[in-house]
This record gives sequence, C-alpha cells and structure tokens, in this order.
Amino acid sequence: MKEFDIEKLERKNIYTVPDNMFENIQENVMNDIKTSKKAPVFKLNWMYAAAASLALIFGATYVFNSDNDSTQKGLNSETTYTANTKEPKTEGELAYETLKSDLTSVENNNQTVENQKSNNVYASKSVSETEKTIETPKPVKTVNKKVETQMNEYLDSFSNSEIAELASNSTQDVYLDIYN
Amino acid sequence: MKIKDAEIISLMQNPRTQDKGVRALMDAYQSRLYWHIRRIIVDGDLAQDTLQETFIKAYQNFHQFKNDSQLYTWLYRIATNEALQQVNKMKKMQKTDEDPEYHMQNLVADNTEGDAEEIQLLLQNAIQSLPEKQKLVFMMRYYDDLPYEEISKIVDMSVGTLKTNYHYAKQKIEDYIKENYER
Repeated sequence: MKEFDIEKLERKNIYTVPDNMFENIQENVMNDIKTSKKAPVFKLNWMYAAAASLALIFGATYVFNSDNDSTQKGLNSETTYTANTKEPKTEGELAYETLKSDLTSVENNNQTVENQKSNNVYASKSVSETEKTIETPKPVKTVNKKVETQMNEYLDSFSNSEIAELASNSTQDVYLDIYN
Repeated sequence: MKIKDAEIISLMQNPRTQDKGVRALMDAYQSRLYWHIRRIIVDGDLAQDTLQETFIKAYQNFHQFKNDSQLYTWLYRIATNEALQQVNKMKKMQKTDEDPEYHMQNLVADNTEGDAEEIQLLLQNAIQSLPEKQKLVFMMRYYDDLPYEEISKIVDMSVGTLKTNYHYAKQKIEDYIKENYER
C-alpha cells in the first residue's frame, strides 16, 4: 500500500460484546452501591487516629487518678465514719452539753473541776459516761457544804481573843485553803 | 448533553435521588466509557470489570466532582486511571519471556469479530504497538473526537504535547498499516 490516510477510514468497534452486557454491569453496580450503603466503610485519617489515641490515654489517666482520689476519699470518709462511731454526738448535742456545763459551772463553786470533766466528754466518752460525770459533782458539793458548816461551828467555838490571834495568820490560811 | 449533565449532577448530589442519578449516569456514559476502556485493555471480561469499578468510584467520589469541569471529562479520567491500573496488573501477570506487543496482538485477534476487516484489525494492532501516552491521546482524539483541551484535563498534558503526540501516533499507525497490509 503506497498511500493511506487514516482519517478516511471508518471508525468501527471490531471487538465482540456479550449480550445484555450493560444491563449486567448496571445491576452489579447498583448491588455494590446498596451493600456499601448498608455497611459503610470509615476511612480513618491518621491525624484523627493519633488525636483519638491521645485523648484515650489522657482520659484513662484522668479516670485512673480520680479513682485513686475517690478511694482515698472513701478511706478517709470511712475513718471519719469510724471516728464518728466512737463519738456519735452531733453538733447540737455538743452545743447542748457545753451550755449545760457552763450553766452547772455557774451553779457550782468549783468551776475548774467541772470544765475538765466536760472536756473529757468531748474527747472520747459516750453520753452515758457524761451523765455519770455530771452526776459525780453532787457528793463533792455536799462535802463542801458540810465542811463549811463544820468550819462555822468550829469558829463559833472560839473566843474573840482566839479569833483575833487566828486572824493574824489569815492570809496564809486563805492561800492554803485555795490550794487544798 | 449539557442539560442532561446538569440533571445527572442534580440527582447525584441529592442523597434521596442518588440511585436514580447513578442509573442516569450509566445510561448516558456506559457505551462511550466501555469502548474507551475496551480499546486500552482489549480483554472483554476485564473491560467489563473495569467499567463497573469506574461507576462505583464515580458514585463514591462524586462529592469531589467540581462543576468547573465537564462530567464526561471527570468520568473519562476515572475510567482511564482504572484501565491503566488494569493494564499494569496484566503486565505483571504476563510471562517474562513473552513480547508485550505480541501478547497484545494475540489478545486483539482473540477478541475480534470473525468478519472484521483486515484493515481494521491492522489498525488495532498498530494502536497496541504505540507507547502508552500516544495510545491514549490517539484513541481519545480519533475515536471519541474529544477536544485537545479536554484530553489535556484527562491525562494532565499540555495541548501542544498532545498535538505532537497525536501527530506521531498517526504517523506510526499509517506506516504500520502500509507495511503490513497485504492487498
């Protein structure tokens, strides 16, 4: 062949094509789309994956630490609970007892003994014990009154000259009386 | 065609009408895309698989389609990439001692209709003897009559390079046919 122009040649498709090929292709494509819709594939970006991992690590650390704190708090609360079981008094009860002790201290001459006893009540003793401690000053009070009457009777028995002689040493006696 | 494309795009962009859009897309472009793929791959079954994959990729990546290019240009680009990937797979599976050009000519002979003209058979053999880029440019220009500007968008080559490639491809084919035509 000497002269040949490709542009003059008829443009033909010479390959064999199976029957219903395009229908089959369309059906396959639509089936594939339906399955991909039912089970979507998530493509995870590596940056998002890294961020999620970091968040998980920090989150786990925070939760772990907060758990430790809460267990410690739990233990503390348990100890306070046990301490409370040793001292089951409420603030109201304590305030009442304080007021009561103050009032009794006004009544009683010996204030220091009363307060020391009430302080012991705050520390460790139960309500029944405090009642006992409140009851104990009663014999002390009676003893003091008896001693006082005995002292008065004893002083009445002295003559004026003897009282004058005793008065000269009164300062020392008063001092001693306080610390008896 | 322009209005048709606008309708397809509108259907594809709406999730409720997406299936209808895929159907419309396939009805409009299946024949053109099939023959484009078939001329590159030659094997009928593989061309069919590649066309299916092209439509699935188009459906999955339709959100990436920008209205600044034409729909068929975008589809041709997907189809060309899929077809070239398939050709690379075929080359890897090919026997190492077999001449690639000889292999493709055998494939053409096996897939051609019995009553095909000799000159048409020679033309297909001549096309398969071309380098990859020249083959693509020649087929899109000669068979599909695509403008150089659109081919440029599909194969990422300048219009000047495309014209040169087409000229060389045409020259080689004519020489091949002159050399091998017996009548």
